[in-house]
Amino acid sequence: MHEVSVMHNLLEIVTATADREGAGTIDVIHLRIGEMAGINFESLEFAFEILSKGTRAEGGRLECDRVALMGKCSACSSEFHPEDLVFRCPECGSGGVEIIAGREMEVDYILLDEEGS
Amino acid sequence: MHQINVGEDLRDRNREIAAENREMLHRHGVFSLNIMSAPGAGKTSLLVKSIPLLKDKYRIGVIEGDLQTTRDAERVGALGIEVHQIQTGGVCHLDAAMVHSALHQLDLDSMDILLIENVGNLVCPAEFDLGVDARVMLLSITEGDDKPKKYPLMFSESRLLILNKVDLIEMVEFDIAKARREASDINHHIEIIELSCRSGAGIEDWTGWIEKLYTESRIV
Repeated sequence: MHEVSVMHNLLEIVTATADREGAGTIDVIHLRIGEMAGINFESLEFAFEILSKGTRAEGGRLECDRVALMGKCSACSSEFHPEDLVFRCPECGSGGVEIIAGREMEVDYILLDEEGS
Repeated sequence: MHQINVGEDLRDRNREIAAENREMLHRHGVFSLNIMSAPGAGKTSLLVKSIPLLKDKYRIGVIEGDLQTTRDAERVGALGIEVHQIQTGGVCHLDAAMVHSALHQLDLDSMDILLIENVGNLVCPAEFDLGVDARVMLLSITEGDDKPKKYPLMFSESRLLILNKVDLIEMVEFDIAKARREASDINHHIEIIELSCRSGAGIEDWTGWIEKLYTESRIV
C-alpha cells in the first residue's frame, strides 16, 4: 500500500540525519509504530530492502516497537486502552475520547557505524 | 556504533504541506472536502448526482484522484465545472503535496466549494491529511457491515459517514444499525447519512450537509 511512499520519507529523514553526523553507514533504524497506525511493518521492511539500495542505509536493519492504543476521556481525563475499538470511557461512559497514543509512525533513533565508508 | 535520537514522525512533512494547503484555501475563501472510500463505493456517482443540485448556488471545483485513468474526471467534467485530474501513477492515496500543486493550477478566486475525490482505498488515504475542512467517508452496503472494525482509522478521521446503495438493502446482508453503532463506537462525533446514488434518495441530505458546513465556515 503506501509503505513505499512512507519509506521514501523515512530514508530522507535518516540519511539527512546521518549526513549531519558525518557518519558512514546506518546499521539500525528503530521505529515506533502505533497499534492504530495505518501501516504494515512487513511491507515497510520489503520497501526498505528495495529502496535503501545505494543509500547509507543499505544492508541496515529496521526495528520496531509497537505502541499500544490509548485514549483519554475529555470529560473525566481518565486514560484507557479502548477494547475492541470502542472509544467510550470505562469510568464515566463519555464518548468524547482523544487518542493520545497508538497513531505513531516515527523514527525513534538510528545506530550509526562510524567505521563504515 | 553510536545512537542518534531522531524522534521525527514520517507524516511530519505531509502535515506541513497540509497546513499550507489549509491556509491557502482559507485565504481564497474556499470550503473543501476530502471524499474517501473503497473502489466502487460510488464517490464519482455521488459527485455526479449532487453537483447539479449545488452548482447554480455555489461555484464548485473538483480534484479527481485516480491511479491511471482520466475517466472519473471526464464524468465529472461533463457537468460543466472546473475539474483537475491528479494521476498518482500507482500511488494508493492522495497526499498534501499532490493537492498542493493542483491548487496552484485551479482558479481558487472563482471557487466556493472544492470537492476532492481521493483514490479508492480504505487504508492509506486516512493517514494523509490534505488540508481540507472536513473528511467524508463513503461506505456502500454491498461492502459489508464489518468495515468499521476492519478499517477503524477511516471512521476515526471522518466527520461524515455516507452509507450508499441503500436501495439494495433487501438484496444484501448488511445490518445498518450495527454499522452505525460500530462507527459511532470508534468516532462518537461522526454524522451518518444514508442514501442511494442510483435512486437519488437521500442525495439532498448530503447536499444539505455540505451547505450547512459551508455556511458555518463563512461565519468563523
